[in-house]
Amino acid sequence: MAGPDLDPEQLDRYSRHIIMDDVGPEGQAALLDASVLVVGAGGLGSPVLQYLAAAGVGTIGVADHDVVERSNLQRQVVHGDSDVGRPKVESAAEFVRELNPDATVEVHETAVSPETVADLVDGYDFVVDASDNFPTRFLLNDYCTLAGVPFSHGAIYRFEGQVTTFTGEGPCYRCLFPEAPPEGAVPDCATTGVLGVLPGTIGTIQATETVKYFVDVGESLDGRMVVYDAAEMSFEEVTVRPNPDCRICGDDPIDSVADVEYSESCAVRAD
Amino acid sequence: MRVTVAVAGEDTREVEVEEGATYADLLDPLPYSTHEVSVLVDGRPVPEDAPVETEEVEVLRLVKGG
Repeated sequence: MAGPDLDPEQLDRYSRHIIMDDVGPEGQAALLDASVLVVGAGGLGSPVLQYLAAAGVGTIGVADHDVVERSNLQRQVVHGDSDVGRPKVESAAEFVRELNPDATVEVHETAVSPETVADLVDGYDFVVDASDNFPTRFLLNDYCTLAGVPFSHGAIYRFEGQVTTFTGEGPCYRCLFPEAPPEGAVPDCATTGVLGVLPGTIGTIQATETVKYFVDVGESLDGRMVVYDAAEMSFEEVTVRPNPDCRICGDDPIDSVADVEYSESCAVRAD
Repeated sequence: MRVTVAVAGEDTREVEVEEGATYADLLDPLPYSTHEVSVLVDGRPVPEDAPVETEEVEVLRLVKGG
C-alpha cells in the first residue's frame, strides 16, 4: 500500500524505488520531503544533481557563481554547448526541472563565504560539497559540522577521486586535514587536467550516499575515505577517526566560523 | 628502522629511516611535500615534526578539484 503522499504519477515515476523493500513508499516520501544543497554545479555537482533530481529529492539548492565555459563540457554534463556563457546555476536548474518536475530548484548564484554560508546552508537537511577550492571546502566543513548538518565530501584530481560522508557521528574533514595547503602547493584540474568521466564516478557515489541518508539504508562512508584510482580501476578505503584535538569537532571546538580566516591555510585563530 | 608507508591510491613502500626521524622524513622518497598530504597513524594525522613511533603509516593526499 502506497503512502498517502504519493500521487499516481509519482507511484509510476518512482515505481522501481517503491517496490524495493529497503526504500518503499516511505523511503520515497522521505526523498520527496528532503532538501539538499549542492555546492558547485561543475564536474561533481553535475551527476549529483542528475541523480538527486531523478531520485525525487523534493528541494534541491544549487550554489555556484561561475558561468559555463566550453572547457567545462568535457565533464560537466548538466551543461550543454548552448549554455556557454550562462550562469551555471541557470543551466543546472533548467536540467533538473526538465528531468523531474517534482524537484523544486533553489538557485544561489553566489560564492560560499563566511558571510553567506549561514543563509545558504540553513534550512537544508544535507549538503553536498562539490566545490573546487580549499577555502570553500574548509568553510563548508566547519559550518556544517558546527551546525550539525550532515554533508558529503568529494574531490577529484587527474585520475584520482576521494569521497566520504560526514554525518556528525564520526570525524570531520579537519580531523583529517587540520589546515589547507599553501596556495599553489596542490595543483588544480585547470593546470593538470582531469579525466572527464572521473567526476561522474565520484559524484555518483556522493549522490548514492545522499539518497541512502534519507532512505536510512545501508552503511554510510562516515569514518571511511574512499580513494578511487580510475587508471588502475581500484578502490581503497582509508579509516579516519575523530581527532580529539580537532578545533571543529574535538574536545575544545571553536564557537563559529568567525574564528577562522578562510584564505591561504584556513587556520583556526589561536585562543 | 623500517616503516611501511602506504600512499592511498598509489603504491605502498618500505622506507628506512634513522632512529629519531620525523614523520616528514618518511615523505623524503615520495614526490610530495608535507603541505600536500596528511600522514595518518591509526586514522589520525600526526605532526610532521614528531618522531616516528610506528611501523606503519598511511599517506592521504589533499585533493581539491570538483
